[in-house]
Amino acid sequence: MRLLTFVTSTLLVVLAGSAAMAHAFLDHAEPRVGSTVPTAPREVSLSFTQNVEPAFSSVEVSDANGARVDLGKPSISAGVMRVGLKPLSPGTYKVRWHVLSVDTHTTEGSFSFHVGP
Amino acid sequence: MSRSISRLFALASLFALASTSNALAHCFVGARFFPATLAIDDPCVADELSMPTVSWSKTADMPPATEWDFSGEISKRITENFGVSIGETWTQIRQPDGTVTAGFQDLETTFQYQLLKDRSHEFALLAGVIVDWGNTGAVNSGLGTSYSLVTPTLYFGKGFGDLPDTLSWVRPFALTGQVGYQMPTSSFDFTQAAFIPQQAVYGASLQYSLPYLKSEVVDLQLPDFFNHLIPIVEASFSTPVANNFGNPYTTTGTVNPGVIWIGGYFQIGLEAVIPINRESGSGVGVLGQLHLYLDDMFPATVGQPLFGGSQATPRKLTF
Repeated sequence: MRLLTFVTSTLLVVLAGSAAMAHAFLDHAEPRVGSTVPTAPREVSLSFTQNVEPAFSSVEVSDANGARVDLGKPSISAGVMRVGLKPLSPGTYKVRWHVLSVDTHTTEGSFSFHVGP
Repeated sequence: MSRSISRLFALASLFALASTSNALAHCFVGARFFPATLAIDDPCVADELSMPTVSWSKTADMPPATEWDFSGEISKRITENFGVSIGETWTQIRQPDGTVTAGFQDLETTFQYQLLKDRSHEFALLAGVIVDWGNTGAVNSGLGTSYSLVTPTLYFGKGFGDLPDTLSWVRPFALTGQVGYQMPTSSFDFTQAAFIPQQAVYGASLQYSLPYLKSEVVDLQLPDFFNHLIPIVEASFSTPVANNFGNPYTTTGTVNPGVIWIGGYFQIGLEAVIPINRESGSGVGVLGQLHLYLDDMFPATVGQPLFGGSQATPRKLTF
């Protein structure tokens, strides 16, 4: 019983804090991570599990040779980041992203998608 | 026992209320997230609370006794790269004849320094010293000791995300481990009339991250529950290496297959505990843990290092 009291008391102390935020994980992307799409997408859309700070979040899309194929500055609304793409030819493309969630936690990642049959 | 409870509660309260600075935390290295493992430690300093950790097992005695362990550990960064952990375990051992021994084990503190975080190679290196403080547990019950144990330890974590795309299905794998050398502050235990050996204490975990698979390799559109799972196998061993006169140099330990579910603010782990030999236990035990990410729960207070946090404006991230 004393141990239970200790556990409960400590949890209450720890839980009695400010509103919680967390790291922003990539929830889903369009085109999907690792997918093959038959036609070239006009943009890449990344949806995160938390809202992100536009000033400190970015995304880059490059082709197999490492050349940038995105149109530059992404648009960010809440937890969704979008970036336009140049016309893509069939091939494999790499998406790399960094985001800063609204509670100042940074996360990053990358994935590929393929355009073509 | 009540004094120990009060002491731990006071420490937990102090950590919860006194922290005031800023920074990042738990174990992210590039795109890799190393979860808190149950049998060994992860390779990062962090602000986190493991409570409770509960295990059930059969001891190596003949006939075996039933052992319950209830433990808690709080970890707090003092600076961005230096952290301290304080842990305590309450143990109950029930003999086949009904005799029960119960009490606290020795208080354990761990001092750790983050040596390296290589984002591109998903590699982390951590150095630490674990101290089990003598005379802080139930010495008369044999659950605590009259001497302390000091264990310098090196921890590592390596994600395989830097493998080429041709091995994409292997990229969610990660390996973590720790190697330590445990030295008692006394060479002879007069109550047990036995030498106290110095021991190599080591372990590893092999994990396959389904969150990593989904966000970095391929989104299989699995039900969301599965996208939070990290199947894992942990192993933890100790081998006497010195001052073990008259005793066999037998390695003891367990292999623990299980799974960890990670959420935004906490994780839950559940593992089977399989002794590697008769000297390590009898039958298969169970180990479970609730682990709270204090840095995510309280990003502006408890989840920050006490000194030298990222008070400055966040830098612009570049590739």
